[in-house]
Amino acid sequence: MPADGIPTVRVPVAELAGTVERIRHELGHNRFVDLTAIDRLTREERFELVYLFYSMQHNTWLRLKSRTDSEAPSITPDIPGANWYEREVFDLFGVRFAGHPDLQRIMLPDDWQGHPLRRSEPLGSEPVDFTVTREAYGVGSQVAGLGEEHV
Amino acid sequence: MTSDARHLTPDTREQSERELLTVNMGPQHPSTHGVLRLELQLDGEVVVHCRPVIGYLHTGIEKTFEAKTYVQGVVLTDRMDYLNPLGNNLAYALSIEKLIGCEIPERATVLRVLLAEFTRIASHLMFVGSMALDLGASSPFLYVWREREKILDFFERMSGVRMMTSFIRPGGLVSDVEPAIVADMSRFLDEMPAYIDSYEELLTANPIFRERTEGVGTLSADEALDLAVTGPILRASTIALDLRKSNPYCGYDSYAFEIPTGTVGDCYDRYLVRVAEMRESVKLCRQAIDRLPEGSVRTEDRKVMPPPREELAKSMEAVIHHFKLWTEGIKPPAGEAYVGVESPRGELGFFVVSDGTGRPVRVHERAPSFANLQALPKLTEGGAVADVVACIASLDPIMGEVDR
Repeated sequence: MPADGIPTVRVPVAELAGTVERIRHELGHNRFVDLTAIDRLTREERFELVYLFYSMQHNTWLRLKSRTDSEAPSITPDIPGANWYEREVFDLFGVRFAGHPDLQRIMLPDDWQGHPLRRSEPLGSEPVDFTVTREAYGVGSQVAGLGEEHV
Repeated sequence: MTSDARHLTPDTREQSERELLTVNMGPQHPSTHGVLRLELQLDGEVVVHCRPVIGYLHTGIEKTFEAKTYVQGVVLTDRMDYLNPLGNNLAYALSIEKLIGCEIPERATVLRVLLAEFTRIASHLMFVGSMALDLGASSPFLYVWREREKILDFFERMSGVRMMTSFIRPGGLVSDVEPAIVADMSRFLDEMPAYIDSYEELLTANPIFRERTEGVGTLSADEALDLAVTGPILRASTIALDLRKSNPYCGYDSYAFEIPTGTVGDCYDRYLVRVAEMRESVKLCRQAIDRLPEGSVRTEDRKVMPPPREELAKSMEAVIHHFKLWTEGIKPPAGEAYVGVESPRGELGFFVVSDGTGRPVRVHERAPSFANLQALPKLTEGGAVADVVACIASLDPIMGEVDR
């Protein structure tokens, strides 16, 4: 049990859609609250999707977790409220939601490169255009600075 | 077509003969409350399709959290919902306290309720003023601003800052609120119900205001739940969900207050719910002041809050704690915590993931405005283009927490 006492269910990504269906209709946690992701930086199944549901009868939350490399089924066709949440996770983590009606970037410009909430994306750096890097990589090439503020 | 378009002459031409006009509203438009852009498809005066475009205020706050210590993160929370800074501090502090399992003194808990409710009043005052202003009534804005200034003055006197207070921190409060400020707050609370009456005199029965809001932007209970809408908007759509009652934190279960709900879920109901909530908040503040105990406002847990200054001269242990806390910060045990609180806009929660070090792995804010804004197409489509402004105003979105 996590520190906040919210029961957590872990399922493989293949069973995600069915589990959401059961959580909402059999377990009565019908209100979708939140969806986000955590980058666990593992070689396999790197992203942990974290869904949060709320039961209006029992006034309790329920957390659903699922690990994925890059894709997960969309729950937006059933829950319109998940629309922007899935777009946000797609935009900032690069996880694609299959079956989403409008999977576009939401926070960042459409032509943005990369997904900034990944742990591999450095904070506060811009592509460096020194003479030496220009010789090595060509003008305008993307050279990512690693550090100075890197976790 | 909903009743929103009731005054429009029906277009008798065939659908194929009509020409749809795409209009871009925002991101710099005085009624979009910041930088919200709407792509509107219009058939004459009727909105056929509405698509909100957000992200103009995205500053990567959730990424920035990962490079800050837990105490530094408090400063970021103020800037998300800038009309509810103390409520955001509170939600963040509660999540981290849950993660650590730290108890805070009773005086701090009561003061947190007092400050959170004052912030709610200030935020709803802003809502009443800006909604009236968006609909063309400029005088209520001046009146609500007068009272809001008084509340901000209290915040300035206790914390030194009017808006970005960062006053509620993991482990308690930054400092105590002096008795003189509490006494002035108490006097203000005596006057406040009469002020709320005066806003209602200007708006509640005002025929122009009612004409612009009644039956406009109706949201049914089922639609509201499906769209993950919370707060006053959900309550206006008849669902009495208030986390202060259903999942009490800070001892809200020991206070007496009502949950105002609406009957049809239109813009007028959303206005009425918020005005009624202000009255309930005044009651809550009064109860908090009446029960305010003496004592410390900081936890004794030295791993969370630094020791008092005078101890540093006497105790080696205090020096070590002080040094460790300001160099490495709070180190919650590895794990994760989510605590939902009722912000003026709905369910606000911070999901904090720790790996046992001084910096969080992930901090995610469940921002109420983000979910609420998704309901905008539902409210506006089928209505008149002039009513879009009323619908945005009634959602009361804060783009700072939508875009983060």
